[in-house]
Amino acid sequence: MSDPALAQPLPHRQSPPLSRRVGYLLAALAIIILPLIFNDTYWRTNLTICAINVLLALGLDFILGYTGQLNLGHSAFYGLGAYVSTLLIVKFGIPFWGAFVAGVAFAGMAGMVLSLFAVRLRGHYLAIASLGFAVIIYQILLNWISLTQGPLGIYGISPPPALIIGGRVIADFHNLTAFFYLVAAFTFLVYLLLNQLVRSPIGETLTAIREDEISAASLGINAAVWKVFAFGVGAAVAGAAGCFYASFVGTLVPDAFFVAEAFNILAMVIVGGMGTLIGPVFGAILLTLLPEMLRGIGDLRLVVYGAALTLVVLFMPGGLVQAARFVHEKFRRGGPQP
Amino acid sequence: MTTTIVLQQAINGIVLGSLYVLVALGLTLIYGVLVQINFAHADFVTLGAFAAYFFMHLIGAGYFLSIGVALVLGAALGWLINASIFTPLRRKGNELLPLIATIGVSVMMQNLMLAWFGPIPYAFETPYSSQVIRFAGIFVSWQNVIIIAVSSLTIALLYAFMKFTFLGKALRAVSQDRETAGLMGINPNQLIMLTFVIASALAGMAGAMLAPVLVLTPFAGTSVIVKAFAIVIIGGFGNVEGTILAGLIVGLIESYTTQYLNPGLIDIVVFALLLLMLAIKPTGLISERREENV
Repeated sequence: MSDPALAQPLPHRQSPPLSRRVGYLLAALAIIILPLIFNDTYWRTNLTICAINVLLALGLDFILGYTGQLNLGHSAFYGLGAYVSTLLIVKFGIPFWGAFVAGVAFAGMAGMVLSLFAVRLRGHYLAIASLGFAVIIYQILLNWISLTQGPLGIYGISPPPALIIGGRVIADFHNLTAFFYLVAAFTFLVYLLLNQLVRSPIGETLTAIREDEISAASLGINAAVWKVFAFGVGAAVAGAAGCFYASFVGTLVPDAFFVAEAFNILAMVIVGGMGTLIGPVFGAILLTLLPEMLRGIGDLRLVVYGAALTLVVLFMPGGLVQAARFVHEKFRRGGPQP
Repeated sequence: MTTTIVLQQAINGIVLGSLYVLVALGLTLIYGVLVQINFAHADFVTLGAFAAYFFMHLIGAGYFLSIGVALVLGAALGWLINASIFTPLRRKGNELLPLIATIGVSVMMQNLMLAWFGPIPYAFETPYSSQVIRFAGIFVSWQNVIIIAVSSLTIALLYAFMKFTFLGKALRAVSQDRETAGLMGINPNQLIMLTFVIASALAGMAGAMLAPVLVLTPFAGTSVIVKAFAIVIIGGFGNVEGTILAGLIVGLIESYTTQYLNPGLIDIVVFALLLLMLAIKPTGLISERREENV
C-alpha cells in the first residue's frame, strides 16, 4: 500500500478488457487489410502460410507453454490432419467440411492417446516419445504406398467448396484472398477460444500443473486428465492446420511432415514467447517471413535461422514478448513520473 | 542356407549396434550428469564422418589416424557446446531451454555443412572395405572387424574408467547427486566438462566408423541420433549397461528387418519397441533408482 510503484504487475498480466477489445479489433482489421496491400500471388501465398503456421504454433504453445509437456512431435498431428482429411475426400468422396471435422478429430484423438503415455512420463521421456511418434507417422506416410502413394504424393487436391448463400457465390476458395480470409478467420477464432480458455479457471489449473505438478495434485487437481485434455486440444488445432495446408497447396508429400517441421513449429513458439498466446502468433509470422526475406543468401538462410533460435534462447528466453515488455517498461520509466 | 543368412545378419547387426552404442553412450553419459539432452550430438557424428573423409582423401592419411582426427574434433566440439550453451543456461535451471538451444545449433551446423559439402552423398571407401574374410559361408569385411574391435575396446576402456578410476567414480558421484558430490570436494563443473568431451569424442569417432556404412550427407547424423535416442530410453536413461544392451538389440533389429521385412520399416519397428517399452517399463531394460526431490 505504501508505494504504488512497488505493486508491479504479475508476470502473467491481465490486460484490461477495453484494450483487449481494441487489440482484437486491430487484429481483425489487419486480417482484412493485409491481402489488399500485398496484392501479388507470392505475398498472398505467404500470408496464408503465415496463418497456417500461426495455427500450428498456437496448438503447440497450448501443450508446451500452458501444461509444460515437451512435445517434439507436433509435425505428426499436422500430417495426420492433412492426410486423413485428404484421403477421405479423394478416396471416399466425403465433402470437404466433413473430412475437415474427421481430420481434426483424428489428430486430436492421436494427441490424447500419445499423452496417455505422457501422464506417466516427464520432461525428456515425453520429448523422445513424441519425437518417436513423429518418426513413426512420417515413416508410415512414406511407406504405406497403397494408401498414401508414398514419396510420389497425392496431387490435385481441390480447395474447399465455394461459399454460396442464396444462390450467390460469396467466396470462391480458388481465389487466394478468399482462402486467406478463411484460414485467418479460423485462426482468429481459435485464438479467441484459447484466450478465453486460458483466462478461465481451466487456464489457472493448467498453469498450476505446469509450475508444480505435485503441489497441484495436493490441491486436488487431477493432473493426468488435464494434461490429456490440453494435448488433445493442441493436436486437434494442428490437425485443422493440416487440413487447410493440404487444400491450399493442392499436393501432399510426406516430407512436409518430417520431424524438422516439428522443430520449426517449436522455434516459432520459443522465439515468440512460450506460455503466452500472442507471442507464438508473432513468432510464427516472423519465422515464416524471415526465411523468405533471406532467400537471397541461399543455403545460409537456415544457418541464420538456427543461429537466431540459439541466440534467443541464450539471451532472451522469453522471446519477442519479453523484448516487447522490456521496451514497454523502458518507455514507461523514461516518461514523466506522476 | 538360412542359418548362414541368420548368422550373416547377426554380424551386420552387431557391427551397426556397436556403433549405435558409441553414439548412445555419449547421450546417456551427458544425461547422467546433467539430466539434459544434446541434440547437436547428431552433428558431431556427421562432422566426425566428414573430417575422417577429408583427412583421408585430401591429405592421404591412414584410416586409423582419420578416426583419431574425428575423435579429437568431436571432443573439441563437445567442449565448445558445453562452454557456450550448457554452462550459461545451467544457472537458469530450466530443463527445456538447453534442449531448444541445441536444436538451434543442430539446424545451424547441418545447413553450414550443406552449404559447404552440398547435398550429394559422398562415397567413403576405406582400404579395409574390400578385404573380406570368408568363414563357413559368412562374409566379414576387415572394415567390420575393425569396427567391432575398436568399439569394443573403447567401450571396455570407458567401462573400466567409470568403475575403477578416481575420476570415473567422481563422475558417477556427480551423476547420482551433484550437490553432495560438490560437498565432498568434487568440482561438478569440471566433471560435466569432462563428460561432454568424452561423450562428444565418442560421437566423432563413431562418425568416422559409420561413414562407410551410412549415406554420407550433411543430414546423416540425424537418422543415427534418432535411433540413439530410442536406445537410450530402451536401455534406461543414464544407464551404461542398459545402453550397451539396447544398442546391440537395435542393431540386430535393423539388420533382420532389412533382411526379412522392408528397410523402410526399421524406424517403425524400433520406435514401436520404444513406445511399448515406455508403456510397460518406462525405466528401461536395466533401471537405475533415481530419487526425486519434491
